[in-house]
Amino acid sequence: MMKTQSCVEVKNEWGIVAARQAGRSLSKEIGFGSVDQARITTAISELSRNIYLYAKRGEICLGAVERPTKMGMQKGIQIIARDHGPGIPDIRQVMTDGFTTSGGMGAGLPGVKRLMDEFLIDSETGEGTTITTTKWLR
Amino acid sequence: MEQTVQNLEETYKSILQTFLNRKSEQGLYEAQQFSKVLLEHQISPEELVSIHRAVLEELYPSVSVEIVDSLDLLLEVMMGYGLAYREHQSLRDRQIELESQINVAANMQQTLLPKAVPTVDQLDIGVISVPANKMSGDYYHFIQDENECVGVAIADIIGKGVPAALCMSMIKYAMDSLPEQRLQPAALLENLNRVVEQNVDDNMFITMMYGSYDPRTHDFHFSGAGHEPGFFYKASSDQFEELYAKGLVLGVSKRVKFREYSQRVDQGDFIVLLSDGVTESRIGDRFVERAEITNLIRKYMHLSAQELVESVYYELAKLQEFILKDDFTLMIIRRKV
Amino acid sequence: MNLSIRQEKNEDVVVLYLSGEIDAFTATKLREELIPLAEMGQTVRVDLSGVDYIDSTGLGVFIGALKATHITEGNLTLVGMSTRIKRLFSITGLDEVIAIDEEGSK
Repeated sequence: MMKTQSCVEVKNEWGIVAARQAGRSLSKEIGFGSVDQARITTAISELSRNIYLYAKRGEICLGAVERPTKMGMQKGIQIIARDHGPGIPDIRQVMTDGFTTSGGMGAGLPGVKRLMDEFLIDSETGEGTTITTTKWLR
Repeated sequence: MEQTVQNLEETYKSILQTFLNRKSEQGLYEAQQFSKVLLEHQISPEELVSIHRAVLEELYPSVSVEIVDSLDLLLEVMMGYGLAYREHQSLRDRQIELESQINVAANMQQTLLPKAVPTVDQLDIGVISVPANKMSGDYYHFIQDENECVGVAIADIIGKGVPAALCMSMIKYAMDSLPEQRLQPAALLENLNRVVEQNVDDNMFITMMYGSYDPRTHDFHFSGAGHEPGFFYKASSDQFEELYAKGLVLGVSKRVKFREYSQRVDQGDFIVLLSDGVTESRIGDRFVERAEITNLIRKYMHLSAQELVESVYYELAKLQEFILKDDFTLMIIRRKV
Repeated sequence: MNLSIRQEKNEDVVVLYLSGEIDAFTATKLREELIPLAEMGQTVRVDLSGVDYIDSTGLGVFIGALKATHITEGNLTLVGMSTRIKRLFSITGLDEVIAIDEEGSK
């Protein structure tokens, strides 16, 4: 599904900035407006911060995607956040609003989910976490 | 959705234009009203900054690039507010859902309480029960048999919500379906204790006082399971005594025996049963003293039992600015003749 | 609304020093410390000298711990109760099922 893919390693705050940069360029290229660019970049920011804070290192992979619709092919951006950190013991808890360990209102995974269109989370304690999220161009 | 945003952009443009031409309070008021429209359409903060930027560039094509760029930064900062705003929306929806569930449970609970106070020739009975929140943990029940014996129960169910309401129906059922036990309060509590212990969570328990008044002998036989002691008013000495029945709260131990007590009730005497919402009323920083409660009862003693309990409630609630920390239940059973 | 818990181990007795209030807000904190000890069959002394208020939710925690010790043959003793709290345990009849040490906090 991913046409082109580039990955950015996240192991410090520079990695977060680099991932944001890559996300902004790609979303601009795909044709997202400035507000959606900000949303996508914020989603990448949150996901990379989680990697940096909890798993210490991981990667953000970005790619343009396409899907067929009644109106023709629809373009979108897909973000895959991957780490081999401790994993999330209670996924339901982290997906619930109001739960946050790093402070900041409204941030966290439910926040990311609301910024994007599709959201998939997979995590295993001791193995790591993979989050795949997509936003489609309207 | 696109259509609506277009219209909103147009409206915002006209509001901004009017305001910039002539800065007036009215212009600002229009903007404030428009803000409500934006919220109704769930326009997030970052979207508004984007709208502002587009409108600004449209109205002033020669606006400096720094000003326009600064709005990019503003947009990024507003993202945080946008996230918080969306979380707030989500939590509000969840709260509405939860409140409707609570309303259903609270209505269920209402149906378990007695519809009316029993009418007995000899007795004047008054009761008031006010929950601190939507769901009450306090429960009371009356039963009467063919001999005109009146059974009264008052209970405080520790634990909230639907499990507490289920406990209430257990108590009601136990009382309504065991006629021989009515004159044996200890046996009734033992029975209930077994049922409660088997069916409730480890952290839940029930305090309860149950008694039965026999109009033939004018005796009140009663037993208690860890419940807040009530009062007994003796008309002949014009004194209040503690009405205490020692016993273990229900639901803790499988095999418990309850002690049965007996109190002779003469004409003019009355029994006061209450929940700890009464004795834990706060006056400022401290708890109310039991003597203060009897003084209040004394003050309104000349009234009917129902008026009496309502007046005492009103005074104690007033001291707490009508915000109850715990469910408040007060019952008075007076022998008239 | 605030509760602080300090745990100390004296040979094979675990002592929990509590300070503040045990109510609906703080009961979970107490539950998380006390119940696991009871479930492990531990001998536990809970020192309530610093506690000025317990509500029914708080009592529920002690009842839960008591039930756990019955299953695991653990041991629960409460010490340092204020007059008000002592009265609460007396009225609820819990003073006849939970060990209460009047002699103080050692």
